[in-house]
Amino acid sequence: MALTALDIYKLLPKTNCGECGQPTCLAFAMQLASGKASIDLCPPASVEAKEKLSAAAAPPLPKVTVGTGEREVVLGDETVLFRHEKTFYHPTAIAVSASDDLPDAGFASRLAAIRRLSFERVGQRISVDLVALRCGSGDADRYARAAAAALDATGLPLVLLAPAGPLAAAVRAVAPSRPLLAPPPEDLVPGAKLAAENTLPLRVRARGIDGLSVALSAARAAGAASLVVDPSPVTPREAVDFATNLRRLAILSRNRDLAYPSAFDLGGFPDPFLAAALLVPKYGSLLVLDSADPAELLPLLTLRQNLFTDPQRPIQVEPGVYPIGAPNESSPVLVTTNFSLTYFTVRGDAEAAKVPAHLLISDCEGMSVLTAWAAGRFTGESISKMLAECGIERTVTHRTLVLPGMVARLSGRIEELSGWRVLVGPQESSALPSYLRRLPPGAFLPVHG
Amino acid sequence: MSVVLPIPVFPGRILAVTLPAGPGGTPVTVGGQNALPLLPEGEHPNAPAVGMEVRTGPQELPPALSGAIGPFAGDPAGMARKCAGDWGARFLFLSLAGCHPDAGGQSVSEGAAVVREVLSATPAPVIVGGCGDEEVDARLFPAVAEAAHRPVFLSYAEEKNYRLVAGAALAYGHGVVSWSPIDINMAKQMNLLLADLGFPPDRVVIDPLTGGLGYGMEYTYSIVERIRLAGLSGDAALARPVLCHLGDAWKAREATDASEASWGDVVARGQRWEETTGLACLAAGADLLVCRHPASVARLSGAAWR
Ligand code: B12
Ligand code: SF4
Repeated sequence: MALTALDIYKLLPKTNCGECGQPTCLAFAMQLASGKASIDLCPPASVEAKEKLSAAAAPPLPKVTVGTGEREVVLGDETVLFRHEKTFYHPTAIAVSASDDLPDAGFASRLAAIRRLSFERVGQRISVDLVALRCGSGDADRYARAAAAALDATGLPLVLLAPAGPLAAAVRAVAPSRPLLAPPPEDLVPGAKLAAENTLPLRVRARGIDGLSVALSAARAAGAASLVVDPSPVTPREAVDFATNLRRLAILSRNRDLAYPSAFDLGGFPDPFLAAALLVPKYGSLLVLDSADPAELLPLLTLRQNLFTDPQRPIQVEPGVYPIGAPNESSPVLVTTNFSLTYFTVRGDAEAAKVPAHLLISDCEGMSVLTAWAAGRFTGESISKMLAECGIERTVTHRTLVLPGMVARLSGRIEELSGWRVLVGPQESSALPSYLRRLPPGAFLPVHG
Repeated sequence: MSVVLPIPVFPGRILAVTLPAGPGGTPVTVGGQNALPLLPEGEHPNAPAVGMEVRTGPQELPPALSGAIGPFAGDPAGMARKCAGDWGARFLFLSLAGCHPDAGGQSVSEGAAVVREVLSATPAPVIVGGCGDEEVDARLFPAVAEAAHRPVFLSYAEEKNYRLVAGAALAYGHGVVSWSPIDINMAKQMNLLLADLGFPPDRVVIDPLTGGLGYGMEYTYSIVERIRLAGLSGDAALARPVLCHLGDAWKAREATDASEASWGDVVARGQRWEETTGLACLAAGADLLVCRHPASVARLSGAAWR
């Protein structure tokens, strides 16, 4: 449970010495309670106070990192059970598997297929995050070579799913890339030792939460510290149950012994896609899938993108004037809102028209056209104000605006307030290409005076 | 020693609501649970139910749907029989889109005739949806309420039309779908307004507006989850089954666009798009799912059952 300022104050020296930069211990306690300061700033604090306070400040679900640098994947470090309470911070990591017993050419094309699982949606890149390397060969050297090749070909961090022997060989080959070690349950102890020696993260797999409780003790005893857990469910519903209760143990019970990010190897699962789609909202931190079919990965990655956006802050773009192609002073002027989904949809459609244009992005707090209209953020007034202030009147010589068809009713007010002429565009921007190409040549003639 | 799990115990319970069936058919009862979805804890006397949309009027079907349901265009009764018979839909959502002035504008009495035809074609429970045009729907719902020779649900009652829709439903013994645009306060308000009219609470389900995957799912997910948590925590006006219509899934470009080769097969992708939308709704707490692709029925029903 989070401590109150008063709880914290009781633990401080109460001397008001000022070393922390605050005038009083109470002021400092308030800073600590709101997460604005750390106990390290108070040198006179007792060891006991320091321990208590840093434990209370630690996230209820610890953070585990796999990989390094730009491709580093963060697992765990979540604070709530429901995203509307705050937000979910670290998107469910998705790993797609490759097996080292594929013939060399097949292995290379599998890696290439995994690397292609990367898509652009509403201005963000959504991609598969890791390669899960299965040891089908049983051959340590072959497995180590495959690990090096996978790293080389994809640049993605690795999950090493292998028995102790091949695992050790792969660690020698790729340890600096910080792979996640995922030995089978029977090799837990040698795997944990390997993780401890190389300070690498370890996946602990055992049957159910009770099984994990035992296995985790063994892993910790062998020195492994950075852990993720796979309760090895056998159905999608059981996976949801285990993942939910692991997350509750971390957040509601503050059970430190079981507070680890969850990882699910869905290979061999009866219906891996279904399980994956349920585990994205329901607390899966890492999912290993055998499918590299974009028709499956694109929906999953989109679901993840949706659920891991901050509910308080829609994905949005900067308001302003955006060029489509290379527009000039007589190119059409279109207007829309700054909701990313709206902007990228309209931009894509306008680009497909191959008619250069100026796209005005109006500040609507990241709302879609109709939502912004309903909320009073996309109005005759706001659009007229934008026309006057964004500089477009100096850029173009005409005064004709293309309005989204859904808000045709704004045209009169805009014409009245701004002096611009309004053309009502199609309702769906997908009709923009034919609409723009069919506009009469005189639509954007200069105005004088 | 086994680990003690912090399983929440909720004071509230979701009201059980039955979509009635015709003679020889199986009614659908949902609700009645006192715990969060998909989990083995608490009591879940009724699993979520998956139904299918049957739509009138001309439609342009995306590739993933045209093969599957294209052959039934213009044949709502045949489609209804197929959905309930071969595809495993437990109920039907008959959308009278064809009465919209922009969609060919079937007359209100033609719309009502389709309702009768579908109700005779199958004994499955039916929810009848309007055409979306305010003015037409104001005439359509009373006509449908009168024409339906067995109890159905009318979709939907919202802020502007609820007196009319609920009044028609009351007069003929139907239920209503209480609709609001992704807003928990409006969802609650709608149910309170219906209660003020004396509408029986066990004949109301909530439709919180389902934004499809990539098209508002982030909002819908949390609204459904919040409605469910509020209901379980004791807010009686929100302790109702939730209906999610997955039709919006097909508005996303990713569900329909065959031009991007790197996105994979458009038929498989479209189907997954709807399925993923439905799975997210189930995870959030939906009790009734309406889908458009026959394959989604079996897959979503499989996820919904223990
Ligand atoms: C998700 C959503 C929300 C989210 C917000 C999403 C966001 N960031 O904007 C939330 C839950 C917060 C929300 C809130 C509200 N919403 Co809302 N919402 C939706 C929903 C489901 C999807 C909107 C969306 O993302 N559309 C996708 C984008 C890409 O569409 P778009 O911006 O319109 O762009 C398209 C076209 O307009 C066109 N286009 C866009 N720009 C341009 C430019 C040109 C030149 C051209 C030619 C074309 C063009 O092409 C685009 C692609 O087709 C819609 C219903 C629906 N299924 O559409 C309701 C909807 C927009 N919401 C509605 C309402 C009423 C509200 C609220 C007022 C409800 C309330 N009281 O709480 C609030 C208002 C917000 C506020 N703060 O007060 C109504 C609007 C009613 C109306 N007919 O005007 C809708 C239509 C639902 C309904 N049927 O009633 N909403
Ligand atoms: S440094 Fe510590 S003891 Fe000194 S005022 Fe700050 S909180 Fe109090």
